[in-house]
Amino acid sequence: MDLLAQIGAGFAVALQPANLMYCFIGVFIGTLIGVLPGIGPVGAMSLLFPVTFKSSPEAAIIMLAGIYYGAMYGGSTTSILVNIPGEAASVVTCLDGYQMARKGRAGPALGISAIGSFVGGTLSILGLMLLAPPLSQFAIQFGPPEYFSLMVLGLTILVYLAHGSMAKALLMAAVGVVLGLVGLDSINARPRLTFDRLELVDGIGLVPIVMGLFGIGEVLLNLEQALRRDVFQTRITGLLPTARDWVEARWPIVRGSLVGFLLGILPGGGAVISSFLSYALEKRLSRRPERFGQGAIEGVAAPEAANNAATGGAFIPLMTLGVPPNVIMALLLGAFMVHGVQPGPLLMTQNPGLFWGVIASMYIGNAMLLVLNLPLIGMWVQVLKVPYRILFPLILLFCLIGVYSVGNAVFDIHVMIAFGVIGYLMKKLDYEPAPLVLAFVLGPLLENNLRKSLILSQGGFSIFFTRPISAACLVLALALLLSPLLPSLGRKREEIAMEEAT
Amino acid sequence: MNRADVASSLVGLALGAGVMHAGWDLELGAPSDPGSGFVLFWVGVAMVGLSAIVLVNGVRGPAPSRPLWRGARWSKIVAVVAALVAYAWLLERLGFVLTTVLLLVFLFKVVEPQRWWVALTGAVASALIAYVIFKMWLGAQLPAGVLGIG
Repeated sequence: MDLLAQIGAGFAVALQPANLMYCFIGVFIGTLIGVLPGIGPVGAMSLLFPVTFKSSPEAAIIMLAGIYYGAMYGGSTTSILVNIPGEAASVVTCLDGYQMARKGRAGPALGISAIGSFVGGTLSILGLMLLAPPLSQFAIQFGPPEYFSLMVLGLTILVYLAHGSMAKALLMAAVGVVLGLVGLDSINARPRLTFDRLELVDGIGLVPIVMGLFGIGEVLLNLEQALRRDVFQTRITGLLPTARDWVEARWPIVRGSLVGFLLGILPGGGAVISSFLSYALEKRLSRRPERFGQGAIEGVAAPEAANNAATGGAFIPLMTLGVPPNVIMALLLGAFMVHGVQPGPLLMTQNPGLFWGVIASMYIGNAMLLVLNLPLIGMWVQVLKVPYRILFPLILLFCLIGVYSVGNAVFDIHVMIAFGVIGYLMKKLDYEPAPLVLAFVLGPLLENNLRKSLILSQGGFSIFFTRPISAACLVLALALLLSPLLPSLGRKREEIAMEEAT
Repeated sequence: MNRADVASSLVGLALGAGVMHAGWDLELGAPSDPGSGFVLFWVGVAMVGLSAIVLVNGVRGPAPSRPLWRGARWSKIVAVVAALVAYAWLLERLGFVLTTVLLLVFLFKVVEPQRWWVALTGAVASALIAYVIFKMWLGAQLPAGVLGIG
């Protein structure tokens, strides 16, 4: 079968020693930052972004992907043990996970969390493997108007789901687009917004912005208030869930995986919203919903499966269409571009080693993570005890080195610091950074496709609406943008509050 | 009235106006052949409009439930930012190792002050480990500075 041959070739790439090592580093670091509150997968990927410049494209993507799904494993550890989510996608796990820990059942909670994550991750990779080829075929029909409209839709969904005011999120998206356009115009090479500075001729780098917003900004935010953490003091015995736990958890895991996978594919969706929705679904379906919030194992198993499944699903729009569905995939897109690879429908045919290699490495990575998370729990608990006052200088140092090593430009450091302050202020004033970053990465692409479309149609904007796919995307986007004006839908949106990045 | 929102929306208005101006200067072109300023101008218009919405909501809406700056340790933040700016300024003059040691000592003492010997050894150790990892292993080009170390 053709598929088997391709996945076989993928494993051949993924099992190369260098790629195996990068995979391990990625999932290890991913688990580490998942465990540590105060830094999340976006921050870690930003920090390690410059490191990947020197490696092969396969290694780079493998490692960055590893950080992403690794963080989903690690985040549950702190949620269960300390009632502090390691990152946003593990918030829901706190609800029942910590209660289980308080009842002396931390072990099974951690165990089912790791296993659920493994199943969710693996099932979603399977889905990715099966769906990507036909979707790529479909995507070849996409022209500039379709790409433009799909990106608009993706940005709109992210804005829609943003915490707080939609106007603010849209404003951030607009700022992101403007920042992305700084530099030389790609069509006629005129300098835009460069203020006669040589350093800006190539545009503002993604690395200083992301490291500033998510690295430095997060540190400043954490420093502002004194952090207090009480690690659960009991010894953790018996990691394996009981037979009864299995019976209760198996269908939630399957359902969680499905919910996560589907929501991960949607632009703007992702691990966080999947975990919330999966928890809500299990509570609805349960015969004894009153157990939720008191230590119900389904409340741990399902969201953990969902957030891992969402990571697999999120790869689909990126790999098949070249459109990142969330901030993290936008970073990955940046990584692809740095290595001169164009993700999209042609990726599978032009670069099958990279495509299938990354997929195969995700299987391997998930297996590594199961090993890392079950037996090594004790080690992660120790890590939790490192005080933040020792940690934050190291994080800052890492940011500084990382951003300097990209172009040996002190200017980049200043840009990063500036965005660190901006990121801090944004968080305080309730402006979401995620739409800004996604718009920054998509901005130049949006402009390009817009201009190409208009040239194609010779000035007619109707081209966006006469082509069915493009029309569907734009209509949906418009509906989402206008929905807060309808009171009932506006209220529903507030129920789905989320924090996508960090 | 949400003062923070009002203030930030005014900044947004100013920025939006600036972007509109920049877009206009770069020429919008015709719809059939959009110029460099086309997208910039209209995004600027959007920024002005959105800032106006935030402004109106900020003026009409309630003050935030919890004070924004309560318990904020201002001095720490300013200190850290100043330290980072100083680092950037000194990096190529003093070289990587020296500047990093200075920064780390400062940071270890700033938030919750460590004892001097902890700060010093921690700083030197971290700087050297970072040097080994980044310069030697990963091949980053870290400046040696005037003194030739690092």
